Amino acid sequence: MIKVNDVSMRFNLGIEKNFSLKLFFINIFKHKKKETKKDFWALRDINFEVNKGEVVGFVGSNGAGKSTLLKIVAGVMKPTKGTVEKYGNICPMIELGAGFDMDLTARENIYLNGAILGYSKEFINEKFDAIVEFSELKDFLDVPVRNFSSGMVTRLAFSIATIVEPEILIVDEILSVGDIAFQQKSENKMRSMIKGGTTVLFVSHSLDQIESLCDRVIWLENGTIKKIGKPKEICQEYENFMMK
Amino acid sequence: MYIKNICLSLKKYKFLLNQLISRDFKVKYKRSVLGVLWSLLYPILTMTVMALVFSNIFKFSTPGVNYLVYLLTGLVMFNYFNEASNLAMSSVVANFSLINKIYIPKYIFPISKCLFVGINFLLTLIPLYIIIFITGTPLNIYHLLLPYAFICLFIFTVGMGLILSAVSVFLRDMFYIYGVVMTLWMYITPIMYDIKMISEELQIFFKLNPLYHYINFARRIILYNEVPTPFTFAVCAITAILTLLIGVIVFKKNQDKFIYYI
Repeated sequence: MIKVNDVSMRFNLGIEKNFSLKLFFINIFKHKKKETKKDFWALRDINFEVNKGEVVGFVGSNGAGKSTLLKIVAGVMKPTKGTVEKYGNICPMIELGAGFDMDLTARENIYLNGAILGYSKEFINEKFDAIVEFSELKDFLDVPVRNFSSGMVTRLAFSIATIVEPEILIVDEILSVGDIAFQQKSENKMRSMIKGGTTVLFVSHSLDQIESLCDRVIWLENGTIKKIGKPKEICQEYENFMMK
Repeated sequence: MYIKNICLSLKKYKFLLNQLISRDFKVKYKRSVLGVLWSLLYPILTMTVMALVFSNIFKFSTPGVNYLVYLLTGLVMFNYFNEASNLAMSSVVANFSLINKIYIPKYIFPISKCLFVGINFLLTLIPLYIIIFITGTPLNIYHLLLPYAFICLFIFTVGMGLILSAVSVFLRDMFYIYGVVMTLWMYITPIMYDIKMISEELQIFFKLNPLYHYINFARRIILYNEVPTPFTFAVCAITAILTLLIGVIVFKKNQDKFIYYI
């Protein structure tokens, strides 16, 4: 279903500085070419496979490369080295509400964001009521999203994103959306999607969620895979590692 | 080929394109009282100002043809290019939050801007034709050829938009540089004056400007009641397609690097 082969990702942290005219002149007057480039490998030689219907969790400290890896799988970024093979349509829930236009109403944003996620017009027309119902924002449909609370925005975004039944779902830290009731609702939704046979890549800092949802856990540290294994063992080990 | 791929995915992303364009319209007129009416009113008013300034204060004129129509034909087309290329240039940078999170073909942003301004452009043809009627400029069958010039102008603008939007990702100075370039470009394009007012030797340089040929194409028809020369036909198509080709190559070569620079 998903095959990640030798993926490495390099970021150039010095890019910003390299491009300023000031530094350019300073370097000229220094009469020596100083390498200001700073390479940073966010990921190094990542290899793993995910089978159809499998739910794989990712844990690791901040900056371990989890989000970068998911973005590469989602096709947002191209890896510096290596390849990703994937079969099936992908629903990336990397950051909800990225495609919202704050000046448009909720109704207009459902169409805009749906189009960005690749839905057809007919599909949105058909699912419109279901989206509205799930988000519980019926009374605010014609209010500009600018006036929404951040909880309402993410609720709407979650409802739009999860209305499809994708073959591959990429979830980056979004299950803590909204209030307690909506969190419960969104987790249930996620579970029903998993039951439906969706392949899920799942990043979360909540080890409880990882343990209860995932079949397998990949532990990333400093851009490499530290360990792959059963959720219980890995979560335990990871917790001990972090608490040290 | 890449262009074929673009056409295929344009079909696939037609609805998205649609949504992006209608978003632009909605946002543009959201809080104005007159709303979409501004699409008509704005060009009429700016055209009036230009017309007043150049025909009454500077006393520009073009022998044999109506100066007002002469001026406006050029102005409408140049304004399209100016606005569309500027919006296209900033479109990739402006949509970075999206590019960073979801996979969308990135060229969709400059193209959607060129189309959005294109719709506005078609609306500005209404006041232009009203003025053609009022001034008593005769109409002729060749007007049916005008879309040829407009399509060339559009293709040229898309090409420029692709180049500019790619370059401006790496070089933000482009936004300022291009502002200056556009001011210069406006004066070296014979919009307010006739190219014959310039000395013979200089004319050659002025004719290197593709915009001159698109505008000239339209003027031949609207003002001089004649079919543009085959040379003009050819120049319009060649410059447009060549620019698009360069745009596609530049954009394609760099689009994967965008993500590091924004």
